[in-house]
Amino acid sequence: MKKIILIAAICFTGEICQAQFNTTLIIAPYPPGSLLSWSIKDLTYIVSGSTGVAGQVLIKATLKAADGTVAATTDLAKARAITINPATGNVLYAADVIPLDVMIFTGKFKVSMDKSGKLPAGAYELCVQLVSPGTFQRLSEERCRMFNIASFQLPIPMMPANETVLDIEKANTAITFRWTPVAPRPAEMLTYRVTVFEVLDYQTPMQALRSNQPLLTKEIIGTTQFIWQPQLGFTMCCMGDPDFDLRMKKDSIKNPNHGDPDFDLKMKKDSGGIVHGDPDFDAYAFIWTIQTLDSRGVPFGDGSINGDGISEPNVFFIDRRPPAMRRTGPPSRILFLNKGKRN
Amino acid sequence: MNTKTNILLFFIVLLLSIDSIAQDTAGKKKPFSISGTAGVSYEHYGLSRKPTGWTGFSPRKPWNQMRFNFTPTMKFGKNFSLPFNFNFAMKPTNFAGPYAGIKKQSFSQFITNPMNNFGLNPKFKSTELLLGTQYLNYSELSTGDIGVFGAGFDIRPGTYILKFFTGLSQQGVNYLSGPPSVNGAYKRKNWMFSLGKAREEKYEMAFNFVKAKDEISSIVTPPLTIKPQEGFTMSFVGKAFFKGGFFINAEGAQSLYTKDLLLPVDPTKESFKPFLTARSSTVKDYAGNFGIGRRSKNFDIGAKLKYIGAGFQTPGYPFMLPDRFDYTLNTRFNAWKDSTGGHKMNVVASVGKRVNNVSNTTLKAEQFIANLNWFTQFNEHWNLNVSYNNFGFETPSGINPFGIKNVSNDFGVNPSYTWGNDKVIHLMSFNYNYSKYNERDVITAVVTSNNTHTALLTYVPTFLTKNISPDFSMMYFYNSVPGFKLTLITFGSGLGWTALKKKMNMRAQLQYNYSKTNSFKNNNNLVASLTNDWNVSKKFTWNTFISTNQFEYGNEIIPNNASYLETTIRTGFQYRFGNAP
Repeated sequence: MKKIILIAAICFTGEICQAQFNTTLIIAPYPPGSLLSWSIKDLTYIVSGSTGVAGQVLIKATLKAADGTVAATTDLAKARAITINPATGNVLYAADVIPLDVMIFTGKFKVSMDKSGKLPAGAYELCVQLVSPGTFQRLSEERCRMFNIASFQLPIPMMPANETVLDIEKANTAITFRWTPVAPRPAEMLTYRVTVFEVLDYQTPMQALRSNQPLLTKEIIGTTQFIWQPQLGFTMCCMGDPDFDLRMKKDSIKNPNHGDPDFDLKMKKDSGGIVHGDPDFDAYAFIWTIQTLDSRGVPFGDGSINGDGISEPNVFFIDRRPPAMRRTGPPSRILFLNKGKRN
Repeated sequence: MNTKTNILLFFIVLLLSIDSIAQDTAGKKKPFSISGTAGVSYEHYGLSRKPTGWTGFSPRKPWNQMRFNFTPTMKFGKNFSLPFNFNFAMKPTNFAGPYAGIKKQSFSQFITNPMNNFGLNPKFKSTELLLGTQYLNYSELSTGDIGVFGAGFDIRPGTYILKFFTGLSQQGVNYLSGPPSVNGAYKRKNWMFSLGKAREEKYEMAFNFVKAKDEISSIVTPPLTIKPQEGFTMSFVGKAFFKGGFFINAEGAQSLYTKDLLLPVDPTKESFKPFLTARSSTVKDYAGNFGIGRRSKNFDIGAKLKYIGAGFQTPGYPFMLPDRFDYTLNTRFNAWKDSTGGHKMNVVASVGKRVNNVSNTTLKAEQFIANLNWFTQFNEHWNLNVSYNNFGFETPSGINPFGIKNVSNDFGVNPSYTWGNDKVIHLMSFNYNYSKYNERDVITAVVTSNNTHTALLTYVPTFLTKNISPDFSMMYFYNSVPGFKLTLITFGSGLGWTALKKKMNMRAQLQYNYSKTNSFKNNNNLVASLTNDWNVSKKFTWNTFISTNQFEYGNEIIPNNASYLETTIRTGFQYRFGNAP
């Protein structure tokens, strides 16, 4: 019995001796589903140890789903050696601890990563340990942390809906913007930045968004609505033009022709470059979107290719024609759904 | 910048010379013509804030901006045309996108900045060369949103269509921490190719291939939030039109997208050589859409489905929201025939649903959308418009105790009455809108109800024998949320008139806004504007817009009684080429 205890004690001492480094693993409770998007705030691995104990190490990471299924492990044969100097302290991040090019994903996790670059939503545990290159001997205790993947989606601008036409009298006073929140709602406080850009003559809406100074940039916290008072002095067109007045009398009052599909088509074509002064459809055009920022003011996103937290924008118009000439019925006509296609 | 201005002036002088030649040759019935416009505009923006040092209101336009447009189309005989599309501004104002924050730009950055177009499209019969800046729309799932500066062609022999274009969609821009900060971007090269067949009013079909790749070495200081990328998308799109107005269209697409070119090649992932070699950050996914319907003079109906996979990403639509499935049904019809054979009633309606986060069974978000616009003209005096818009957004609880549930309902009614005689026609219109927006808190399940009432009264007399056109409007807007109440009252009036034998159209407008939040002292706002469109000659017009906006706060912000004065002065000249009216 004494022999067994002695052997066990020697083995234990040996293990401790091999654990040369002290480590700390910190993982945010709800990091993004896209592992490439993990930043400093999502994963931090701190290595320390006795002065003089320096050398090269490999990081061995094991990612498990809540039911214990191994989702991914480090391919130690491909893992990059990292030089550790505890005297100065080492702080490592996601790109060092779970680099995409050395992690081997399995089963449905691999399918999901290959398809979207994201882990499926759910609870996970990540365990990290330092091992020596070549022999893969343990150099630190294994540190494990639980976290959840929620797969956040950026807001969707809802109102004004895409290609909505607003009345000029109302728009001169107030325009109400509504959008969906980031879903699911993350634990941190998000800021929604509402931006509105005017689409100038000869511009496409996307050109306006990518090049113009916004007429509105308003940061909103805690709600998904903003009432904008534009104060831009939108002016009505075509008043005083006798030809136009005549047409207004003959065509608009007696034959309003509401919902004419050709008109819809024309408006859509013009959305890329409204030519002001055309009484058939003279409108101010705008493009608006939401930029989402996290609690540090950094663009929020989960693997979006722009990395700027900007949602898919909507275009809306302010009809400049006099009330009698507007073939649409106030407050607005929606050219959404299958008429909302781009040209 | 002087060089750029000189180039423009050279082109204007050249084109004016050509224009005069065109007129001469037109007189001799030679096969050359020119149409289109050229112009220059200047905009000044001014902002004065009180008290001095207060920054509660930010400038929203550049202080001074010059914009040029140069868009003549020359036609040589029946078969050859040469359209120019030059539009550019002198001062970069980029806020979003790859050039965000840039203040000083190199010549190559100026050329490729999305605020500037330098396009030339010489066309001979059915062969078109595409040179310079082009915004090409191949399909809904391949490319359409992004402008590329480069060269290519569009050839249409018979019923076949062959398109190709390559160039730069963005130059390299170094990241700068600022202030002012510059986001930075990698130089991006684009290629696009389409092979199709189409017969007008019968069918269209095409294979589209789109590729974009960032150049890693194009910048010294890379952007913080984005890595160099590479994307390749291929799609097949088809449309068919049948007798009776029936139509069907569909598109299927696959994308491969590398989100970080700095990561190594991964042989275990599926590549699409030679167009894209997969790396460990490469994702592959699919998207598709389908539409079917019927259009006719008095009745339209259509249905549309759209699926975008979780990993579907295409460089041609960089803001496309992935991982969603939409389906919609919409209709339009006319009813109630009048004595002239027209219709007194028109209805436009749509209903649809969008499912987000489709790939996550536990976190799917559902969105319902419905719209109705119902117009009726009872007689030549009375008409009525009724509208209803709804959207609802709902998610399961997921990581929170309760799910998100936001529901918006908007109802509007707008009767209007018209009367008059041979001298004047009066229009009186009343518009009332009620909007209710409910938001559920995901922690407490408390629903916040946001209610808005809007009432608008408009009176417009149209004088048929005089050169003046006045209009008057009054609006009341009230928004309430627990703990917050906002009241807006607006009085607006405008007057249009003509002068110089109707060559000059002027319009003056004045608007007063009263706004009050909770029990704070009210804010006052006065907006005045003047517009003048002067047809100096048949070919030359001078447009001017001047506006001023004075806003005075009550005591809802600190410092109390803060105010700002905005002024905008925009003036520009347009020259029209050719003899077209």
